[in-house]
Amino acid sequence: MTAPAVLVKAALMGCALLLTVTATGEAATPAEERAHAFERLPNWTGQWEIVGVTPDAQGGYVQSLDEVVKEMRKWGPPPYKPDVKAAFEKTAAEVKRRSDAAANGTDAPTPGLRPACSFGVPMLMLFSPLMFEVLTTPEETAMIFSGREIRHIYTDGRPHTAKEDLWPTSWGDSIGHWEGQTLVIDTIEVSNPPGLGGGGPVIIAGGGDNDAVALVAALSPDVHFIERIRMVDPNHLEDRMTIIDPKSFTAPWHISRQYSRVTRIHRMVHEDCEGEERNPVVGGRFTIAPPPKQ
Amino acid sequence: MTEKISSPGARTRVRMIKFAAGVGLAMVLNTAAAHHSFAIFDAKKSVTLHGVVKQFLWTNPHVFIQLMADGEAGAAATEWSIEMSSPEHLVRAGWKPGTLKSGDPVTLVIHPVRNGIKGGQFVSRIAADGTQIDLPSTTQAPESK
Repeated sequence: MTAPAVLVKAALMGCALLLTVTATGEAATPAEERAHAFERLPNWTGQWEIVGVTPDAQGGYVQSLDEVVKEMRKWGPPPYKPDVKAAFEKTAAEVKRRSDAAANGTDAPTPGLRPACSFGVPMLMLFSPLMFEVLTTPEETAMIFSGREIRHIYTDGRPHTAKEDLWPTSWGDSIGHWEGQTLVIDTIEVSNPPGLGGGGPVIIAGGGDNDAVALVAALSPDVHFIERIRMVDPNHLEDRMTIIDPKSFTAPWHISRQYSRVTRIHRMVHEDCEGEERNPVVGGRFTIAPPPKQ
Repeated sequence: MTEKISSPGARTRVRMIKFAAGVGLAMVLNTAAAHHSFAIFDAKKSVTLHGVVKQFLWTNPHVFIQLMADGEAGAAATEWSIEMSSPEHLVRAGWKPGTLKSGDPVTLVIHPVRNGIKGGQFVSRIAADGTQIDLPSTTQAPESK
């Protein structure tokens, strides 16, 4: 939404507020108006996880790699420009080579290894083992993930943060608005640590035996995400994501995921990547260290 | 006592990729529970261990079962470190800090560590009636609408 459009919308909202009256004919107080705004919001409280990515005691998930990739490409493959596609396929082949090497036990840890408690956008919504909560208020929706990542989606009518005040982050800059019971999120300025492809965020699928992963898309820093999140039924949310990346794609790419309620726990429990690590690297390979002395 | 058993349906293991800053294509494959690649375990091999729980270490970033496994032919028991996922994942899979207690007799199926040390990745438990429990979620169909 452009800045002028936002101002017009904000002005209209202000007029609506002034015109709101109580049942007794008196103008609603700000508190009453806010209470009414809350009443219009859906209740998405509880814990959610990506369908097919329910973790087990072993560290694995329900869906295989092929199933995850197939679902991500349900609306078609990424519509890459020809030259970008060639580079992407070369990178994807290298990812597969390393994935296969890991599956065969011939991989080695890479210098610079760091804990993967951080997934960022769009992976948090597309392929992450983390459960999350969604807290909706009239002014902001917060998505809190068990890796202690938080997405802040401002729904108070503001435009994106001014360019001079903005820098790329793993979660980007998100604003949103409600269309009925659907939350529409607009996210820009997303980056990941330097890595693959076009220098922007990546989409990776996991699954299958061993360490099988696949690079599904590598995006440019100019990528723009539009999400439409709604409750499909009392136990499922859905995110329909449109990925707009004119540097990489010939057209917007659509992708969607569903989330189901976490059934075995009804509170947030966070991952803790800072705990004592019993998997040191010895001779270029991870191993298991003895338990700590009691 | 240890014995090799067949490994029907090697389990699905999901790995996440993170990127090493400034290394370009260099990347690491991590478990979804974070931290490291589970390629240290040989998913093509399964070993059954009978023994007694020495400790159930409900720790971050990974939970461990310290198992005193029965020795073969009357030999002394030996300690194995059986690695599981994170506490956050385990509670979502129905486990609790008190699911196992010191002294509990258990039979576990594991994928052994490739380098031969007495360690492995938890695969399942075998209940008293011989059925495998706590199996990987790959054995369940995803529920979607």
